[in-house]
Order: sequence, then structure tokens, then C-alpha cells
Amino acid sequence: MTESLFPDALKILLEEFTRSGIRELHVRKADFELFLSTEPSSSRVGSIAAPVSEAPVPAAPSAGAAKASAPVAPAPAPAGALPDNAVIVKAPNLGTFYRAPKPGAANYVEVGSVVKAGDELCLIEVMKLFTALRAETSGRIHSVLVEDGAMVEGGQPLFALVGE
Amino acid sequence: MAIKRLFVANRGEIALRIVRAAQALGIETVVAVSDADRDTAAARLADRAIVLGPAAASKSYLDPRLIVHAAKESGCDGLHPGYGFLSERAILPRLCAEYGIAFVGPEPDVIDELGDKLRARAMAKAAGVPLVPGSDCVATAADARREGDRIGYPVLLKASAGGGGRGMVIANNGDEAEAGFHRASAEAVAAFGDGTLFMERFVPLARHVEVQLMGDGRGTVVHFGERDCSVQRRYQKLIEEAPCAAMPDHLRAQLHQSAVNLAASVNYRNAGTAEFLYDVKREEFYFIEVNARIQVEHPVSEMISGFDLVQEQIRIAGGAPLSIAQKDVVLSGHAIECRINAEDVYRDFLPSPGRITRWEPPVGPGIRLDSHMSTGAMIPPFYDSMVGKLIVHGTDRSDAIARLANAIDALVVEGVPTTLELHRAIIAHPDFVANRIHTRWLEQVFLPGFGKKAA
Repeated sequence: MTESLFPDALKILLEEFTRSGIRELHVRKADFELFLSTEPSSSRVGSIAAPVSEAPVPAAPSAGAAKASAPVAPAPAPAGALPDNAVIVKAPNLGTFYRAPKPGAANYVEVGSVVKAGDELCLIEVMKLFTALRAETSGRIHSVLVEDGAMVEGGQPLFALVGE
Repeated sequence: MAIKRLFVANRGEIALRIVRAAQALGIETVVAVSDADRDTAAARLADRAIVLGPAAASKSYLDPRLIVHAAKESGCDGLHPGYGFLSERAILPRLCAEYGIAFVGPEPDVIDELGDKLRARAMAKAAGVPLVPGSDCVATAADARREGDRIGYPVLLKASAGGGGRGMVIANNGDEAEAGFHRASAEAVAAFGDGTLFMERFVPLARHVEVQLMGDGRGTVVHFGERDCSVQRRYQKLIEEAPCAAMPDHLRAQLHQSAVNLAASVNYRNAGTAEFLYDVKREEFYFIEVNARIQVEHPVSEMISGFDLVQEQIRIAGGAPLSIAQKDVVLSGHAIECRINAEDVYRDFLPSPGRITRWEPPVGPGIRLDSHMSTGAMIPPFYDSMVGKLIVHGTDRSDAIARLANAIDALVVEGVPTTLELHRAIIAHPDFVANRIHTRWLEQVFLPGFGKKAA
């Protein structure tokens, strides 16, 4: 259903983009990349337009914690929190974020680690099913945006990568 | 134990409806959303919204593991599946049980049994619920005549291996049954390599009626009267009413009792609906299936009974006994619901997602609008096109029709085409006003004329 309606989704996105007054929009996900800009000279493919930061989510909030409510969407970081050229690696879906292949083992990556496309960065667990998340581009890990063992939501930023 | 924090595993108007019901009970809510639904009414109203994954339903609302993982990690002790998506998939309550999360619905084994049409028919038969009269395998033309005479004409001869209408013949008398046997059997051999036939009574003028049920899981089942959902297009309901004004009272009582007996026979827990075909001419009803969930059209039953079915669902899932006894259910007046879909009725009901640029609900006594829409709201292209349900309650059917006409006229929706205009025309049609409709009426009688007028 979704795939066949994709042109509609794109049409809506374009309309939204035009209405919004946003100057640039850059979306990158798996084998899909979209860059929209109202600036004729713009060519920022390969970097991210607006830096984003983590949305802190407790792994298992106590009864009162949900009231405090994690934001629905990741909140934008203060300007300058990440380098302009940082590439944000996001969670493909909701799950529990694990930095190491198993308890006690070394983390897949640390801040400063250099990774190339295809390298494993972390595990996302959904009901005991563990899926490795791999880097799509090479770079150096600038920051890890989520605590080990925390629940992450779909689309939540996990790592910031900067080009070597 | 009463639910303290409820996970809402659905979207759209029903997610909002569930959040409101939970809040009325003092229960916290966590709404699961896809990436496309972050900024929806239910997500804003809930205590928390959690993004499951991408817009594609298969990667968000249809992934039971993602959903139960999210429910567990967000500290929920109850889960409401709504309707559609995973609401009738037994895996959802099974996974919930693994994590001690109360599922707002029936036991998974009951969902499985009712989901299997043959087993559901067997259960109905065992509970004394009428089924469409039919035959076992029919081997010869003489058998076909004898079975046809026994069942009563018209009858449908169907290929056992069949589907898609092939190998299917209608016979109005014994001669046609014999001739039809040869034709249907030959067609069945050609199409499926198997000429085995069976026969069933054919109901040319049928209404779709259904009984709203609520069970405590211990054998007590209460009904909230019946609904008539005969205005359908491609088996999709467009307009639903309660009660079924075309049904005589003695039959209505039998219908309710049949539905209650069936649900009680499996110790049905939570909300469910028993669906029946009503043969208006013969004044008989036949079991179709049980829907093991809250249904889209539940509000018409709420309007005539005065009970909040979703709140009752949540209470029962939390372990409470039924708060309503059958004698408390007093039905009054007539309610009608129309489903407002973002579809272009002049372009073969093409789904028309987009942004709502103006949304002004009607106000007045007896009017209810269940919708997640508002001015500026977005209808994403990934899911079904329903944007809301307009429900009215009147003293009787004609009063309800008049109220619905006024309510439709007062409801302003701009930005996307909707089915409102179609509904307005349906309820003004002499056949609808006189209640001379059946399940094929919209497609056979109404729409051909509607299309012409529009062209």
C-alpha cells in the first residue's frame, strides 16, 4: 500500500515544504535520500541541514515519569551543539539500544572511533530480536546520543558522525 | 488489577477515542505513533507518544513485537488494540501475556477460534444460532433438485473448490437446480479441476444486522441491541443505524438471544459483535461471523443505550466484573452514523489524502462527531481514508435522519474531498427514507443514478 502511494507522499511533502517557508530539507534513510532547497546555489547533499540532538527517554519510567512526558519529536539542539557537517545516525524503529554485542563485551564503537560504511554501530532489540545497525557512510564517531540500554523511538538520533 | 497506564496501539479517531475514555477513568495513556503520525490529536492529548518506526504500517502499527516492546518499556500495564491493524491477531494478546500486560479484548484462543470461519460456524451451530440453510456435497443433478426443494428457493450452487464467483449458479426452482448443477459442475471442473458442489440458500434482499456484546469472560454476556449496516459499498459499511427499524420485535429478541448464547458459550470476554444476514422477506436471520474487537460503528449503540463501551472495555480488561446488567440496558430513540472518508466519490472513491484547510464541527443536541481532525490537520497517504464519524441521535428514525441532514449541512470540511456529499444524498433518497434498502442497494440502485447526476 505504502509503496504504491509513494508519489502522493512526495507530492504532499513538496506542498508542505513550499508552505512551510523552510529553506532547506535533507532526508536520508537507508537507500533513500532527498534534498529540497529553495536556494538555487545550494548543494548540501552529504551533510545534514539542521543539527538534531537526542530525545532522552528513560528505559522503563516509573508510574509518574510518563506524566513528565518525553517529547513526541526529538527536540532541536541548541545551535552549534554538533558540527555543521555531522551526519546523524537514527534508529530505524523503536527498540532497546545496546552498544555492545553482548553484556560485558566491548562496545562496537566509542567516541573517536573511525568507521566505514557497513560497520556495525549498535544493536536494536525488539522483544529479544537483536538487529545490528550499520553505518551508511564512513566517518568518525563524534558523539553517542543515547545511553546504553535505553529505549529509543523510531527515527531517534543515536550517533553523530563527522567525515574524516 | 485495574489498569494504571494504557498503551494505545492504534491511530486516528479510535486512538483519540481510547485516550479520552482512559482519561475519564483516571488512567494514564501512551500512544504509539508512526513517523507520519507524530503530530496527531491522540499523540498530543496522551501523556506520552512513542514513535514506533516509519510510516509504513508493516513497520509500525502492524508489528506486534514493536508494539508490545514499546508498551513494556513505557511502563504500561494495559494495551488497547482499537480496530483494524492487529486488533484481531491472537499474537498481540499472547505477547502481552508474556509481559503481564492486560489486553483489552478477548482471550487469544477465542480470537483464533472465531477467526476461523468454519470453526466459528460450528460454534454457532452448537450454540443453536441459525446458519444459512445449506447442503453437504451434492453429487448428481437429482441430488441438487432434492436439496434445493429441502433448502427452499432460490438457492446458490457453489463449487467446493471455488472462489471469485466461478462455478456459481443461482437456481429459482427444481428444474433450474438440475440444469444449474450440470453448468456449475462443468464450470467448476474447468476452473478448479474439481466438480464437487454444495448448495446454500440465496438471499436476494438481505440486510446486515449485528449485535453489540460485552462479556466478562466468565459466561456473563450483556447485549446493547442491534445495528443495521446495510448501506455498503464493496462490503465496506458507509452508514450504520441502531436499532434495525426494519426488524419486527419478536425477531429482534431472538436475534439478541442468539448472539448472547453464542458469546456465552465461549465465555467471551470484552467487547465483540455478532454479525448476521437478515432475510427480510422470510423474516429469518443467519449467522455470518463474530468480530472480536470494538467496531467502528460502536457509537450508535452508545447513543441509544447511554453507555460508554470503550470505558467498559478498559474496566473489564483491568479485571472488573461487568458494571452493566442486562436489565440496565434500556435502548431509546434511533441513532445513525455516517463514516466520513477523504475520498473523491466522483472519481471512483479515490482516496484523497492531504491537508484539512477548514474543519468546523456541527453543534447541537444529539450530535456527536468522533474525529481526530481539525483545521490544519494532515491526512497522510499511508493508512485508511476515514477522517471521522458523524453520529446523531433522534427520537425515532425519521427524526434521526432530519438531524443527520442538518448536521451534515453544518459540518464544514475543506482541503480534501470527502464522502459527506454522498451521505447527504443517500439519506435524502426515498428508498433510504422509507427504509427499503438492502446490502446491494447502494451499488445496484443508488450509485448508478448518483454517478449520472454528477456527470
